[in-house]
Amino acid sequence: MTKIGLEIHCQLTKLESKLFCSCKADYREFEPNTNVCPICMGIPGSLPLLNKKAVEKATLIAMALDCETPEKIAFFRKNYFYPDLPKNFQITQLNADGYENTSIGWNGKVTVDNKEIQIRRIQLEEDPGRLIYEGATERTKVTLVDYNRAGTPLVEIVTEPDFENPHHVRNFLNILSDLLENLDVSDPGLEGAMRADANVSIEGGSKVEIKNIGSFHDLEKAVHFEITRQQSLAEREIEIIQETRHWDDRRKITVSARTKEEEGEYRYHLEADIPWVNIDSNVKNQLQIQMPENISSKKERYISKYNIAPQVADILASDKYFSDLFENANNETNAKDIANMITTDLMGLVDTREKREQSKLEPTHLTDLIEYIKSNKITRTSAKLALEEVVKTGKSLPQIIEELDLGHVSDESTLSDIISLVLSEETKAVEDAKQNSEIVNFLVGKVMQKTHGKADPELTLTILKKNLGL
Amino acid sequence: MKNLVTEEEITRVAKLMKIELEDHSEHMKRVQKMLEYFDILDNANVESEEIIVQETDLEKLRDDKYVPYDQKLLKFLKTYKGKYVKAPKLS
Amino acid sequence: MDLSISALDYQRGIKNGDFTVEEFISKSLERIESVDKNLHAFLKLNDLALENAKEIDRKIKSNQNVGKCFGMPISVKDNICIAGSITTCGSKALEHFKAPYTATVIDKLNSEDAIIIGKTNLDEFAMGLSTEFSAYGKSKNPWNMDYVPGGSSGGSAVSVSANECIASLGSDTGGSIRNPASFCSVVGLKPTYGLVSRYGLVSYANSIEQIGPLTKTVEDSAFLLNIISGIDPNDNTTIDNDNEDYLSNIDAGIEGKKIGIISEMTNSEGINDEVLNSTNDAIKTFEKLGASCEYVSLQMVRYAVAAYYTITSTEAGSNLARYDNIRYGYEFDTEGFEFNSYISQARNMLGPEVKRRMILGGFVPSAGHAGKYFLKALKVKSKLIKEINLILTGLDFLISPTVPIQPFKFGEKIDDPVSFMLVDFNTVTANLTGKPAISVPYKIVNGLPVGIQIMADSMNEIPLLQAAYALEKTVELPEVPI
Repeated sequence: MTKIGLEIHCQLTKLESKLFCSCKADYREFEPNTNVCPICMGIPGSLPLLNKKAVEKATLIAMALDCETPEKIAFFRKNYFYPDLPKNFQITQLNADGYENTSIGWNGKVTVDNKEIQIRRIQLEEDPGRLIYEGATERTKVTLVDYNRAGTPLVEIVTEPDFENPHHVRNFLNILSDLLENLDVSDPGLEGAMRADANVSIEGGSKVEIKNIGSFHDLEKAVHFEITRQQSLAEREIEIIQETRHWDDRRKITVSARTKEEEGEYRYHLEADIPWVNIDSNVKNQLQIQMPENISSKKERYISKYNIAPQVADILASDKYFSDLFENANNETNAKDIANMITTDLMGLVDTREKREQSKLEPTHLTDLIEYIKSNKITRTSAKLALEEVVKTGKSLPQIIEELDLGHVSDESTLSDIISLVLSEETKAVEDAKQNSEIVNFLVGKVMQKTHGKADPELTLTILKKNLGL
Repeated sequence: MKNLVTEEEITRVAKLMKIELEDHSEHMKRVQKMLEYFDILDNANVESEEIIVQETDLEKLRDDKYVPYDQKLLKFLKTYKGKYVKAPKLS
Repeated sequence: MDLSISALDYQRGIKNGDFTVEEFISKSLERIESVDKNLHAFLKLNDLALENAKEIDRKIKSNQNVGKCFGMPISVKDNICIAGSITTCGSKALEHFKAPYTATVIDKLNSEDAIIIGKTNLDEFAMGLSTEFSAYGKSKNPWNMDYVPGGSSGGSAVSVSANECIASLGSDTGGSIRNPASFCSVVGLKPTYGLVSRYGLVSYANSIEQIGPLTKTVEDSAFLLNIISGIDPNDNTTIDNDNEDYLSNIDAGIEGKKIGIISEMTNSEGINDEVLNSTNDAIKTFEKLGASCEYVSLQMVRYAVAAYYTITSTEAGSNLARYDNIRYGYEFDTEGFEFNSYISQARNMLGPEVKRRMILGGFVPSAGHAGKYFLKALKVKSKLIKEINLILTGLDFLISPTVPIQPFKFGEKIDDPVSFMLVDFNTVTANLTGKPAISVPYKIVNGLPVGIQIMADSMNEIPLLQAAYALEKTVELPEVPI
């Protein structure tokens, strides 16, 4: 049986500051080496100052993943030399060597596709800096370091090798992304916010680790490739060696990684500059209370309280952006309509993070739109246009309706004139309509076209039918 | 000698710690002597001791606030093009 | 104007108008110029010292608020960061390292209008006990320049002892304040772990080291401790001392106090006769002062040196890993080099003693050996803490000679690593247990100083200083012969 395990690194991007200093947690907008201070640069004599909220958020994650959590947490140094490590050690947590139960969480579980995935442990640690390579040839290549990211808070989540196939893995990552976003601890869509390594073994074979995977999309591919590679080796009765491989994104294969000399001997020891932190049950209870509603219970609530269709509820609950909009826009009576509008008309308008950031839509806009539709002030078709405009400009609905002339044409005489015009133009259809009443809808459509969707559909139908003698 | 530290081990550790040893044997001898002295720890009878550590409470930790560091740290560092730190080539 | 005056006398002198800050600083700089070419206490002097002095005189004259240091010249060990100034830690590896920020203790001194007159010499990265391991040359004992001043804060002790300045800040990891204080006949205090902020102290063994004052008198020690101590948000290992006043009732005496004489540190064969005699004398003095003395045993002391060197080499191996010369250090371009070979070559600038500690620090915590050495050392440390806590429930102080031997000649100890390590025998216990300990100059024998060490329970600096003061008051020592 194929076994796949994951080691996921997730940045706590929702924090204001880094794990051990007050530099910004989100380093992405800074010029190189400008989001740094003596602490995250490891300047001699500097001391790490643990971020309280990082501990709280990480504990929330541990609870959400059903983990056991400790009474005290401790930090350790993982010692090795690498240019992206300002101190040539990483401050991290240890869950071995007699220090079990000092990291943020362990023994958790998540259900994916009806299978329970065990979470071995969760730990809090700092991200290293970033390496950039400049220069075209091997000879002229220069390694440049930007330490803006050094010290960014990371939560490492390690699973047992409980996944059975790449698809399973992908679903888990989606669930995890949604969960982290829902907890308001991280924005998984940010570039580099979530990274994962995998380990793969097939029946009777050794465990192979795969590192250097750029995205979740690549992760699925990498795992798939690795399984295939191992299976083909097994078929030819070649031994699968236990090793670390890198994902080569260009060639879409895994390759054996050159072993780093620094690997394997980290001389872990306690980080004496950070005292052990007591996390008593009061704190944990407080966190439990503050914990946002989880996705599945949100979904249940939407279905049972608002009578929303399960597929629609699923989309709403899994996406924090949508569920926030929904919660703020609905007033019980319009819930279903709001839900539908979000999951049909709105979805396409905000399908990227950029579009969401630029969107000027407020929950009240949705409430107004539904209200206008219900009271016939605007047709559904016009509402779609109005929604697009709202997202773009954020203007009020009345203003948009006026500016774009989206008002309902419900004035009978105006409508009659337009209908007469259509009837005179579409003589064939008029004939056919008398035999086949379905053709009337075609004529309604033509009226809609002429009125740019503003014609009141019911009134149009009534007048048409009258004129056609139906 | 209860604990013979081999040349191999010293070489491995020196590589690990990124230390070049010019006079292997001189260093070996001194390190060996110190390690032999440390053997005295075997007589301490502390197997069952629990390690005492310093503790603090969650409330005492630093608040999560972004405070830009107001100095240009780059001025104090070795820089490349004034922006990056240049590292030696990674093999 | 007498340069041998204490900090408190200096304060009185300035307030009385006996001399100006500028006069005193000027004379101190002359003194340094005259003696330091031989003593080599200083690595660098503060060019702005005289200017700062004039500024403080101006403030005094115009009746502005002046900090309680009143411009007194204080030297600082060169492993404590001062913004904009080169901080070498006695190493060539940091020859061009300019600190971008200032240590908390220096900020505190500056806000009390102290004048930092210069940075003092030390064993490289504070690893040593004779200042012979400085990459910038050795400092000499002003009592006899053929002898070591002790270490690693050798330069600090010399600068105070030779009256080049009023006081100094050093650091103590295994005796590095107390040892040179004892060797140079000055007062040296290692505070309770966590009492003084380490923000800005270049780490050697961060779980046990502290910054502390080296001064001419016990009162001065209390005076400086008042300024530099206190909880610091920049150092999470600091503890709140509720702004205690260490000068309060310093002359309370020790009538009725119970003193334990640590047998392992006093009756051992490693102790030399002059030191033993002086210690017995001190015991009699304590008794005359009204305290009761008895010999006590701390079993774990026997293992303390081994535990100390195991733990410190491990921590040092980690704390010094950052010196790869890539971000800061000294001139040596990375161009053309491969990563591993560059780093090893760059780290050749580390001196031989530091290199040895790096090797030990890689060895003792490594897989396969950690259980035997490092973990065991941590357990010894823990048991020692339990032992000393227990014994201090029935005692007020613990005493011993600060160092089992008197100052030795240059080169004498350097070849035998074990006898070298054992010089720390009496001092490491206070570091491993976090307890405060002070060295009080007690005798000059054959022209060389002997100091007595007093230890107390954690955060008990007030009674500790009272005991030290009481002992000091019974002692009349000759002037330093330089």
